[in-house]
This record gives sequence, structure tokens and C-alpha cells, in this order.
Amino acid sequence: MSPENQMKKRSTQASGETHVSATNVMATPNAYVRFWIITVMLVLFGLATLKLR
Amino acid sequence: MLFHLLYPLHEKIALFNVFRYITFRAAGAIVTALLLSWLLGPWFIRTLRRLSVGQNIREVGPQAHQIKAGTPTMGGLLILFSTLVPTLLWADLGNVYVWLVVMVTAGFGVVGFLDDYLKVRRGRNLGLTALQKILGQILVASALGLGLLLVGFDPALTFPFFKRLVLNLGVLYIPFVVVVLVGVSNAVNLTDGLDGLAIGATTVAAATYAVFTYVAGNRVIAGYLQLSFVPGVGEVSVFCGAMIGAGLGFLWYNSHPAEVFMGDVGSLSLGGAIGGVAVLARQEILLALVGGLFVLEALSVIIQVASFKLTGKRVFRMAPLHHHYELKGWKETQVVVRFWIITILLVLLGLATLKLR
Repeated sequence: MSPENQMKKRSTQASGETHVSATNVMATPNAYVRFWIITVMLVLFGLATLKLR
Repeated sequence: MLFHLLYPLHEKIALFNVFRYITFRAAGAIVTALLLSWLLGPWFIRTLRRLSVGQNIREVGPQAHQIKAGTPTMGGLLILFSTLVPTLLWADLGNVYVWLVVMVTAGFGVVGFLDDYLKVRRGRNLGLTALQKILGQILVASALGLGLLLVGFDPALTFPFFKRLVLNLGVLYIPFVVVVLVGVSNAVNLTDGLDGLAIGATTVAAATYAVFTYVAGNRVIAGYLQLSFVPGVGEVSVFCGAMIGAGLGFLWYNSHPAEVFMGDVGSLSLGGAIGGVAVLARQEILLALVGGLFVLEALSVIIQVASFKLTGKRVFRMAPLHHHYELKGWKETQVVVRFWIITILLVLLGLATLKLR
């Protein structure tokens, strides 16, 4: 591969991150449920800032 | 354990004062439980595969489910471990309600484990007999009812919307607790038929009861909302936090297509835990709303069996209810997500009863 093409390599197989997960090994429902879990945890961390200062 | 180890040091290190707060320890339990189930999940699933602990699929169920045969089951052991360890780590171990709910969860877990173990060993979908299973459940639930009476728990039944109405059950409280716990655990067991359905609904219910136990254990908030104040029961919200974390971590692997099933060890213990927490929060009646999905699933089976025996006709294409919708053409993931949405709506209605009277 020429140096120019090496520069053109994709960092992920597809974008956004949901498609990366789906094109790797995860089935679509797997990917969205796991992304929901991450969202729930981030929301909980957000709520924790109400208490922590 | 952390509460007992670190909170006494708060006079020297002010930071440790946060261990006094139930909310902080509940949050700690959520994160610990999630990390435990999430990190141990792959190893646990590999171990179950190696031991050939695979699910047997009922031949009478939907044909599409036959491809699930051999998926590792007894994942409930991971849920139990990831719930109980963070509870013991973050909760105040001097609190009797924490121990009661831990023992109920473990007790129902033992009944479910025996059922799963026999199913795997016999290589068919035949575990404990219905009578053996129900006797085990009654034994554990009675122990909770009796234990509560022995520690001086007020055996009173409260009602949503009618906050001044209180029914003192006396010794009848024990059979009442049995009906609640056995009913919920079997209803969760029936709900556990699609990938992620039961764990999603129980996690939402656990989050709701984290709020209810916290409120019931706080004199000021309980007084403001005209709820029954139960001194010390707020600590149970740490247990609910652990259930939320363990549930989310397990859902990571149980979402469609599931890498592992919870088995009876999971469904019975989760149902027992939710029932136990509802009893401790004195919100047993509300469980019919918060756990409305479980009620619908159980009712669909009862209606189906009764209708078939009385008239020879089936009301649903298949029971429990989730199979009916599958056979109507909904995809498995559609049924699961739609049933979760219904659960969330029911939970919001349940939370609204805090304010409505």
C-alpha cells in the first residue's frame, strides 16, 4: 500500500460507533441495548453530580 | 462492610463522611454490581459452556425458539453474586431488613438452582415438580413473614391513593407475604421467555422500589408524602441499587441474541427479591401496577388454562402473553422493547401514586 493510501485508512469499519459495533461482532439488538445501558450509566453519573461537589 | 470500615474514620478523614448517606452507598452498589456482572460475564458464560449447562427449549413453544437450544443457562447465579456481594459491601450490615431481603433472595435462588440443576442433569425440560417448587417458595416466604413479625415489623397493609386506610393483618400477615412472594416469583418466571424481557422489567421495578424504600425510610419525606414510615428500611435501597447494577450488567449479555439465560435461579430469586422489597416498603398492592407486566403475563396463562379447560378454546395463540404477540408476527425484539415501554409507563403511574391521594 502506498504511503498516500496508508494515510487514507479508516480508523473504524463504519461510523458512527453503532455501526462499528454492528459490523464487528454484535447483532443490531445487542448493539442498541448495550448503548442504552451505557446511556443509563452516564445518566446515573450525571444525577450523582447533584449530590457530589 | 465498607460502611463499618470507613465511616468510623470520618472524624480523621472528612471525605469518609459520605459513607453515612444511603444515596451514596446505593450509587456505589449500582456501579460495583454493574462492574462485577459485566467483567465476570464472559468468564462465567465460558464456564457454563464448558460445563455444558445449556438450556432445553420446550417443544410446545414457538418453533423459532428452537435455535436457542444449548444457550448457557443458570446465568441467574451471576445476577445473584453481583447483587449480594455489593449489598454486603455497601449496606449497613447491622440492619435487619438488609439481611432479611438477602436471605429471601438467596432462598428463592436455591429453589431455582435445584430446578435448573435437575433440568440440566436430566437433559430435558423437567426440573423440580410443581409441588416441590411451590413448597420451597412457601417455606422461604413464610420465613420472611415470620422474621418480620419477630423483629416487630408492623403487619399492616397500606393502599395507594387511600393513604389513611390501613388494614392490620396480625398473624394473617404471614400467608399474605407468602401470596405476594410466591406470586411475584412465579410471574417473573413466566415472563422470562424472551431475550432481555424479564431482566429489563425487573431492573426497572428494582429502580422504582429503590425510590419507595428510600422514601419509606426517611421520616421527613414519608411524612410529607403521607406514606407509612418504616425506620431503617431506607437501607434496603442499597440492595435495590445492587439489583439495578447487576440487572444492567446481565442485560449486556442477555440482550437478543442472548449469550446466556438467567434460568429459574435468576427469575425466582429476582421475583422473590422484588416481592420482599415491596413487602418491606409496605407497597405490596402497588406491586400489581409496578410489576404490571408480570401480572399480565401470569394472567394470560391463567386465562388460557381456564378457558381451555372450561370451553376447550384458547383465548391467546400461545401463553404466556409474549408468545401470543410473537405468533401474531411481532419480532422478538419488538415484543421485548414494547413490553419494556409498557413497564416504564406502569412504573411512572406507580411513582405518581406517591403524590396522588
